[in-house]
Amino acid sequence: MGLLQNIIFGVITGSYIAIAAIGFTLIYGIVNMINFAYGEYLTLGAFIGFFAATTFPLPLPVAVLVAMAGGGVVSLVLARAFFTPINQTGPVPLLLTSIGLGIALRNAIRLVAGREARYYDTATTTFRFDSIPDLSVGSVDLLGGFFVTSEQLIVVGSAVTVFVAIHGLLTRTDVGIAMRAMGDDESLARVRGIDTQLIRDSVWVLAGILAGLSGVLLAIQTNVNATTGFSQILQILSAAILGGAGSPYGAILGAYLIGIVLALSTAFLPSGMSGLSSAIAFGILILVLLVKPSGIAGTEVREA
Amino acid sequence: MSSDNTTQTSRRAFVTLAGAGGIAGLSGCVGFGGNGDGGDGGSNGGDGTDGETGGNDTPDTITFGQPASLSGQWDFLQPGISQATDAAVNHVNEAGGPLDAELEVARRDTAVDPQEARTVATQLVENDDVAAIIGLFSSEINPLWDFLQDLSTPVVTPWPGSTFLDTRGGDKGTPEDMSDDEWVWRTVVGDTVHTSGSAAFAIEEGLDTLGVINGTTEGERSYVDGFVSAYEANGGSVAERVEVELGASSYQSALSRLFEADFDAFLMSLPQESAITALSDWSDGGYGRQPILSDTLTSQAVIDQVGSDLNGAWGATPGQSGPNYDTFEEIYSEAGDADINAWTPPAWDAVQVTALAIERAGEATPEAIQQNLGPVSSGEGTEVSTFAEGKEALANGEAINYQGAATPVNFTQHGNVFGTVSINTAQDGEFTQTSEVSAADVREFVEEGQY
Amino acid sequence: MSVLDRVPTENGDLALLAGVCCVLIGGLFAVTPLRAQLPSALYVFVEVGILFVIYGLLVLGLDLQYGHTGLVNFGHVAFFAVGAYGTAMLSAQDTFAGIGLGYPWPLALGVGVVAAALVGLGVSATSIRLRGDFLAIVTLAAAEILHSIFVNFEGIFGGNVGILGVPRPIAALVSDADTRLVATLLVIGGITLVALAGITRITSAPYGRVLRAIRADELVTRSVGKSTVTYKTQAFVYGAALAGLAGGLFALYNGAVAPGFFTIQVTVTVWIGMLLGGAANHRAVLAGLAIIMGLRLISRFALDVTPVSSDVFASIRLIVVGLILVAVIRYRPAGIWGDAQELGVDR
Repeated sequence: MGLLQNIIFGVITGSYIAIAAIGFTLIYGIVNMINFAYGEYLTLGAFIGFFAATTFPLPLPVAVLVAMAGGGVVSLVLARAFFTPINQTGPVPLLLTSIGLGIALRNAIRLVAGREARYYDTATTTFRFDSIPDLSVGSVDLLGGFFVTSEQLIVVGSAVTVFVAIHGLLTRTDVGIAMRAMGDDESLARVRGIDTQLIRDSVWVLAGILAGLSGVLLAIQTNVNATTGFSQILQILSAAILGGAGSPYGAILGAYLIGIVLALSTAFLPSGMSGLSSAIAFGILILVLLVKPSGIAGTEVREA
Repeated sequence: MSSDNTTQTSRRAFVTLAGAGGIAGLSGCVGFGGNGDGGDGGSNGGDGTDGETGGNDTPDTITFGQPASLSGQWDFLQPGISQATDAAVNHVNEAGGPLDAELEVARRDTAVDPQEARTVATQLVENDDVAAIIGLFSSEINPLWDFLQDLSTPVVTPWPGSTFLDTRGGDKGTPEDMSDDEWVWRTVVGDTVHTSGSAAFAIEEGLDTLGVINGTTEGERSYVDGFVSAYEANGGSVAERVEVELGASSYQSALSRLFEADFDAFLMSLPQESAITALSDWSDGGYGRQPILSDTLTSQAVIDQVGSDLNGAWGATPGQSGPNYDTFEEIYSEAGDADINAWTPPAWDAVQVTALAIERAGEATPEAIQQNLGPVSSGEGTEVSTFAEGKEALANGEAINYQGAATPVNFTQHGNVFGTVSINTAQDGEFTQTSEVSAADVREFVEEGQY
Repeated sequence: MSVLDRVPTENGDLALLAGVCCVLIGGLFAVTPLRAQLPSALYVFVEVGILFVIYGLLVLGLDLQYGHTGLVNFGHVAFFAVGAYGTAMLSAQDTFAGIGLGYPWPLALGVGVVAAALVGLGVSATSIRLRGDFLAIVTLAAAEILHSIFVNFEGIFGGNVGILGVPRPIAALVSDADTRLVATLLVIGGITLVALAGITRITSAPYGRVLRAIRADELVTRSVGKSTVTYKTQAFVYGAALAGLAGGLFALYNGAVAPGFFTIQVTVTVWIGMLLGGAANHRAVLAGLAIIMGLRLISRFALDVTPVSSDVFASIRLIVVGLILVAVIRYRPAGIWGDAQELGVDR
């Protein structure tokens, strides 16, 4: 299969990560913390969606919406309980708290939900485009036939919808503009009369909604268990930092970059090293931080 | 930092006195050679003297230790093993128990982490006074090998397939002579053996070229290495091999790379959840060709999730065609509803054969068990199918040969077993056994003395 | 003058004395027919004790990095692993997988420490100039990358099986199990005490004052002319070297290394221990580590008396660990023995 197919795979992987990375990076920029428990928000979203889809059988799209709403609620509750009280202590205590919270949540989920993986009931159709010519350059086909599945299209479609919605939110609504102001300079925003705590709560809700969506999409593709979200946290983190912490647009770029690097490295690394693809993604992260610590979108990096 | 002198002095004094006191206390435990006056030290810890050193009187309870994967990556496999162990223990107790004592199991979590496993094993042996350990995974045994040898307690485990244990373990064919013993026995067929069976079957089916996709954990790699070496030894050739990480959201890129090569069949060795993702991706991508599954993947969950595209896929499982599988299955299914996986019948066998070793030995010490595991499992004795039968035969003064549920449990000199390998094919929404490779055929693939 | 007054107390000299004594006593057990009796019920405690003194080296190194210099290192286990693998690969004989070169173990230990220090140098070079939580991410990513490398390059590092057949110097000298445990505990414990002495020396000297100034406010420190990058790099590398030493000792104690021993659990345990005890206070962080490891050990025994099944118990234990971390940060951020004002966390 050619480069085109692999890039398509990369775009799809990138879409899952992008949706989550936007939420993650907003928390980073506005609440000023790295939330290591974010993977658990995805997992909870996946579980909520699963139970919505199976207990009172709701059609899948409705279950997804329920998962998003549930994710937002859970995120706000957790933030109020654990992060808001220590907001003034600085990024490191918040980071450490999120790590502890993540451990506790992961095991609490396993305790309640048990060990068996659960699966969403979905049917997929595959669309094949085989007649595209391979433009060969050396041993690599630039184009070549490819396929996409309906699930994959839905993921990419959701991602694009989310991007548009976020853009609209940030540029056209009061809440969104206030968020951007806070992300830029919190003290100035407060001077302008913005209720910073309210905005922070809104960011938590938004991040929770995005996590819920990403979690359900991920679970549809794989399965629902206590580590569904946790297995993606490092990639989400890398995407957010890579793109420039705090910038949703950067997070989107970073996510697709990571997705494509993962896909291409699996495809083209010498075999025997193909298991290293996520290590390569992290390597890229470190490289970018070396060269341009403000990330791709070039947000201001507060030095030590 | 500035210090307060008075607190400093009193703290210093306290530490010095505590230290001196400690040393004085310990001095009772220090001596030159011999058992000497360690007596008072010994009595502090020696509460559980059941069946320990020099137990002339038969104990009331005998304990087996079970390091278990109650949390961690493989925790979904544990319920079957726990159920099989408990069912076997109940059976043993109902038949009167080993040496008419009650058999118990101390189960402790290791999360399949070798550090935890080390602590758990120490705790089981030193604090719970277990006579034998029924459990431990390859990833725990291999790095703790020296430690386990020092522990000098028989480890009869249904888990490890690792090739590392092929030439390690057992009593080296000399039950009486313990100086060459290596304490680890396994009732599950090693990867080398059952992958050979699988590879042989593949060649027989005319699948001469192979693609491989496997995970990076030891079990997965060891499976593939075993399969590939037997496969190539019989004339097959591997066209492409791709290694992937576990828990990824999609395996499309890896599959796309794999299927660029030309081969008749592809072997997949991944843990169940990742495998379901990969097989679903394979099915979506319409890649086709003959799937060969590793033994852990011939489970109902895989067929349920992947669907009809999987029809015709097969995998080789050991441990389902032992001589007394039906006896086991009957008792097991009444004990609960955990799924039977490849390690469940071996867990039953492990308990049965160890209890029989105690019965034959007349005492429940680790050394006695180690010396009797060989004799009760192989040789010319009366063939028995359960502990109850074995206890009766031993009472009559007969020698016995335990025939198990997973395999005939004839321990080799390295503490390993051979068994028939069943070929299970996916048909009509479930895996059914369609063929088998007999133990004798499988044995041919392994050099004498190398297993 | 009483004997107590003559015992040295400044600047960790007591620790140095105690450490050298322990090593000597341990050595005595190892090479002479002197034997110890250990009640078998205590084996578990001694084994965890050996692990404690090894992790103690880790927490001391981390304390130097975070407690004194304010560097958030979330990949500490990586240096532990590098030291262990370096020592193992150089000294292993007849390993089942991976490379084993069979050199004498003192050389291997030295190489392990140096290797860890070099990796520390490399990692710190990438992000020592960045904000605290960026460094956390980079160190975490570095740990993940190293883990991936150890697992994937099977031919070199032995994959998931690891490197086996590493010589065990104490075990080779002592065949009696009781004495071996006691000797190992004394020798490694002694080394940890000597390290404690060394660290205390460094941090109570003016050097340590600069480090703490950097933690408190780097800009100000730079403005008085101190090259903060140099100091930070040095602290990071010393911490990494200590972790490498811990790794080498671990390899020589266990006789084998495998990726399963170097998971993020180790980093989390050491961090919780440090924060619980009180960062920047060396004895306190060791005490905090002792508490957290003691809790884990005691909870194993508690299984016998709790009415829940063991798999429920296993999950509950981990939930409690996570909540302890959250609670310490929230209610007692300076730790049990730490100085809130000193650490700048008083509110």
